[in-house]
Amino acid sequence: MNYFVIAYYALLIGGSCLAAYYQKRTPFLLLFSLTLASFIMGIIGGEGALWSVTIAAGIIALAAGTSYAFREFLVIVLPREMSKTIKTAPLTASFGLFVVMTYAIAGIFAPVIAPFSEAEVVSSAFAPPDQTMLLGADQLGRDMFSRIIFGARNSVGLALLATAIAFFTGAVAGMIAATKGGWFDQVMGRIVDVIMSIPSIIFALLLLSIFGTSIATLVVVIGVIYAPRVFRLARAVAGNIVVMDYIEAAKLRGEGTWYLIRKEILPNSTAPLIAEFGLEFSFVFLLVAGLSFLGLGIQPPTADWGSMVRENATLVSFGEITPLIPAAAIALLTVAVNFVVDWMLYRSSGLKE
Amino acid sequence: MSTTQHGKKEKKELLLEIRGLRIEGYADEKWIEIVHGVNLELHRGEILGLIGESGAGKSTIGLAAMGYTRDGCRISGGSIDFEGMDLTTASSDELASLRGAKIAYVAQSAAASFNPAHRLIDQHTEAPVQYRIKKRLESQEDAMELYERLRLPNPKEIGFRYPHQVSGGQLQRAMTAMAMACRPDLIIFDEPTTALDVTTQIEVLAAIRDIVDQFNTAAIYITHDLAVVAQMADKIKVLLRGDEVEEAETVKMLEAPKEDYTKSLWSVRSYKREQKYRPTGDATPVASVQNIDAAYGDVKVLEDVSFDIYAGMTVAIVGESGSGKSTAARCITGLLPPTKGRILFNGTELPSSYKDRSKEQLRQAQMIYQMADTALNPKVKISEIIGRPAYFYLGLRGAALKKRVDELLNLIELEPGDYYNRYPPELSGGQKQRIGIARALAANPSFIICDEVTSALDQLVAEGILKLLDRLQKEFNLAYMFITHDLATVRSISDEVVVMKEGKIVEQGPKNEMFTPPHHPYTDLLLSSVPEMDPDWLTTVLEERGVDNIGEAALKKS
Repeated sequence: MNYFVIAYYALLIGGSCLAAYYQKRTPFLLLFSLTLASFIMGIIGGEGALWSVTIAAGIIALAAGTSYAFREFLVIVLPREMSKTIKTAPLTASFGLFVVMTYAIAGIFAPVIAPFSEAEVVSSAFAPPDQTMLLGADQLGRDMFSRIIFGARNSVGLALLATAIAFFTGAVAGMIAATKGGWFDQVMGRIVDVIMSIPSIIFALLLLSIFGTSIATLVVVIGVIYAPRVFRLARAVAGNIVVMDYIEAAKLRGEGTWYLIRKEILPNSTAPLIAEFGLEFSFVFLLVAGLSFLGLGIQPPTADWGSMVRENATLVSFGEITPLIPAAAIALLTVAVNFVVDWMLYRSSGLKE
Repeated sequence: MSTTQHGKKEKKELLLEIRGLRIEGYADEKWIEIVHGVNLELHRGEILGLIGESGAGKSTIGLAAMGYTRDGCRISGGSIDFEGMDLTTASSDELASLRGAKIAYVAQSAAASFNPAHRLIDQHTEAPVQYRIKKRLESQEDAMELYERLRLPNPKEIGFRYPHQVSGGQLQRAMTAMAMACRPDLIIFDEPTTALDVTTQIEVLAAIRDIVDQFNTAAIYITHDLAVVAQMADKIKVLLRGDEVEEAETVKMLEAPKEDYTKSLWSVRSYKREQKYRPTGDATPVASVQNIDAAYGDVKVLEDVSFDIYAGMTVAIVGESGSGKSTAARCITGLLPPTKGRILFNGTELPSSYKDRSKEQLRQAQMIYQMADTALNPKVKISEIIGRPAYFYLGLRGAALKKRVDELLNLIELEPGDYYNRYPPELSGGQKQRIGIARALAANPSFIICDEVTSALDQLVAEGILKLLDRLQKEFNLAYMFITHDLATVRSISDEVVVMKEGKIVEQGPKNEMFTPPHHPYTDLLLSSVPEMDPDWLTTVLEERGVDNIGEAALKKS
């Protein structure tokens, strides 16, 4: 028995006792069940298992602390209306916001942050990390860290652009369909059915092999594939709004379709649409990464997380985690965006408790 | 039947006792008290009427009598004692075993409260079977007997229908039967007739009163309609913003209310304005509807409807739901082009669809809606809502537009500085309706269609709106087409009355003629079905007409 193990159990049991004394039910159950689980883990896995539990707990605590501090920071920095909203946000949402902001900074200031350019060969292939290269080198000897930073710009920027296009076309078409109804609605609905009936990745592969793999085509193709989902949502949301009396009043006033959409329908449908935007963004981002992994997305030497996973995939068999870093970057962003979206959906649904 | 009405009955065993009940609601991250210490006593077989405006806490207290609070509410103080059990401290299992079995609830909208996917009788038998009070078949037979007592047509068969196959009044009675299924000691009626037409309401009222009397059930009857509560309750409790104003026996309460607030409630129905007559000579009517037919698809809803509306006059269109009065308005506005006939405006014919009408034609006729909640866009500022028509039709902008909006807000008696930048959800129902009126006025119209503008409002607020409309009419010489099913409103503000039934006009003429006999039999039925403040009114009407001659049965005969 060394000091670490003694301190580990002393802390857990002491914490449980304190929680029990102050009648904090949830923390007590959490701490004490962790204590019980640790007995078993300690017996089976020895000190190592306890260390990993400690590290995991430390990481979670760090993330929670960061989120808490970041939320307080936003409350102070933002104008009154927004800070009131942020105040009620759960920690997961502020964690999501924090990650999204970090990625945004990395993407925008990539040339300043990254020590090397994305295509520069600075070392031998698969060089291990050292003082100049934080994460080592890739299969051509380019700096991994710099490529991750530039990847944030390329992958995220592309996904954002594609989502924006999908969103704009889908939302506008959906709202017009709901307002006008009739043949326009029918035609748009059938077109959407056709697009949605083909699996998205196969459809993307098909279109990209027909039109080539320039960035512009990629953006348009993804936009076309994802617009139908937005169309359906926008049409459903707007459909609930166009039956309201205020729309009838506006129609009887003689207002045109564009006014109806812009001034009467749009302000009432922003919440679900923004939540959908976040969700769509995650899907588009994964699709871009997937296409890059298959070699049809962003073309080398431009840094992109999806293709970086593929290029360094061989390293996994040598027990190196290098190829997992871009994969982790993708996962982290998707999780973070989903945290934020969850919060927005919760807010727009108006649920309490 | 009406021995319970006059408090002759000796005091019976105490059933429900509420002491110092406080309830809090959660809003804007704070708990705000909405019921401030209300006391209530109910004996077996007694009916208590709870009245008050919306937001007075009637429904909240009614639900609390079952130990239940809505989402976002909590009981923060006091006790609710039901047969010696304190419901505020009872566990949820104990409460669940009471609800349905000992305490039942009849909701305002039966159509929304029945599950549309199950037959009526299956929903009826659910509670008795669940509590093992009766076997399924036994309970079904009991249901049929209850249906018969509630005078539902085909009592043996009606239970096997789905909710959508039954009319609103029948559904409300089926729900009362369902509440009776376990023979509870207490039933809470939460505005059971508010959504019904007068002719149907009378039938439901008679049925509820009978059955409560037969089984000696205690009841809490929640409503905002004084005339209705006068028929039903043994004693009345008046509530205002979560506080009790006063409580007294029904007769005493009606004859000699103590508090000023109660007196003001009682006097609402006395508002009347002078009747105007058509201008003599060959004046052209502002709006003239000539022999129009209209249909939704193949279903004909209007047949040969004609009436004229002259400047400065109010024409009330009266009828039950489904009589085609709102459809007539849709034809005039052009939302539903008529299949036959024409609509003249100041002597010139209007295109039948609103899409073909000019801006000027659209401006002349404006509309005020029943539900101010859905008639105002919740995400648009008040200044924008009112300013838009002024900008759209009259091209006002900048300082001129701001001045016009201020002027309009002053007209509807709202302080411009306070309301200019607010959004509709921040306003009360009456204020929203006023904004709706301002929006209509902003277009400088000569003709306004008021579609049930006061039926969603409390009586005091509604009276304010009627007075406002009247003042505006005098000021701008407006013509109103006033769609309503409330004959009290018709009596107070209309000049001419048009009575509609099943898409046809039954009778029309100046108000004074319409309200003096002889009437068309249907008009007579409508008029005699409006509850009066006299607590014996229902009894008298039932005696005159006979129990089988009310509601739908009477409708068929007329």
